Amino acid sequence: MVQIPTSAGGEFLAGCRDEAPLLLGVAPFGMIYGIAALAAGVPAWVAQLASAIVFAGAAQLVIVQMLAAGAGFIPIALTSGLLNLRHVLYSASMAEYVRHLPRRWRLLLAYVLTDEAYAVAVLRYQQRHAAAADHAEHTDSGTPAADATADLRHWYFLGAGFTLWAGWQLSTAAGLLFGATIPPEWELDFAVPLTFIALLTLLLRERAGQAAALVAGLGALAFAALPYKLGLVAAIVLGLAAGAWAVRRLGPVR
Amino acid sequence: MSTTTLLLLLVLVGVLTYLYRYAMIGLFASRSLPAWLHALCRHIAPASFAALTASGLFVAGGEVVFAFDTPRPWAALAAVLVAWRTRNVLATIGAGMAALYLLKLLFPT
Repeated sequence: MVQIPTSAGGEFLAGCRDEAPLLLGVAPFGMIYGIAALAAGVPAWVAQLASAIVFAGAAQLVIVQMLAAGAGFIPIALTSGLLNLRHVLYSASMAEYVRHLPRRWRLLLAYVLTDEAYAVAVLRYQQRHAAAADHAEHTDSGTPAADATADLRHWYFLGAGFTLWAGWQLSTAAGLLFGATIPPEWELDFAVPLTFIALLTLLLRERAGQAAALVAGLGALAFAALPYKLGLVAAIVLGLAAGAWAVRRLGPVR
Repeated sequence: MSTTTLLLLLVLVGVLTYLYRYAMIGLFASRSLPAWLHALCRHIAPASFAALTASGLFVAGGEVVFAFDTPRPWAALAAVLVAWRTRNVLATIGAGMAALYLLKLLFPT
């Protein structure tokens, strides 16, 4: 594939370079978020700050759409808190590669552990793991801890995460600048539900997920009358129950 | 919602998200993820997006409204078809917006 850098700076730059193409897919979401945040009445500086504090695209879009619909504090916190729970999966999957690092490194890397940075970094770790395994056949230092001194892959991870972070902040800013000049008749806030439709279609691969989505969608209509948009939370929980039921009924998939 | 409340909400969601990300590489680094949590995580995104889509399209002011005399449900339908055929996120958003503008042009209110 590509040559393997041997310095911290080289790893960092390689991470930046490999993450860069993903920004093409991320930037439109950052812009849609910025535009929709303004349309929902969020002050521009708060919307920009949110991209640094929350740094999770789907959750930020959810927060903005719920604000626009007049949802209260608790339903928004519960919905976005539930939606972001998937980051525990990425955390678990990166654990074996970063467990040996000093605490300050793990604290830093946790901040940039997003969907897109994870996708790039995990490939790098697996790639070099294979190389290390070949090497281990005729040396004795096969364990990840043993070659930790020479292991600079966390710099690669940081480079990928930093690039995504910078891209997200810049595209948010672009959306906020652009959004301020667009008349509301353009209805660009409609891009948010369209984004959810697109992501949903990609996610509906297996039966249990389809059951969860169907029940949650119907639940959102059935519980529409609950105050502060709490019906959304109820619908999602019911959908998760349906998904769990389907897994038990149909057996684990894959 | 006041700006102060909104900032509190964002900090809460941000801290929670950070703790999720730090959980398995820091807080519980020596343990593995329980199987039930793993299964739960896989269904969270489809359930959330489906609930938000349904609510965004068909709920207004706490009531279910099937407004088929307005462009949005039809534009959403066009987006669903494109999403299903292409599995491309940007094409889906583009098709939905294009359909919205076309319908507004054809049937001005």
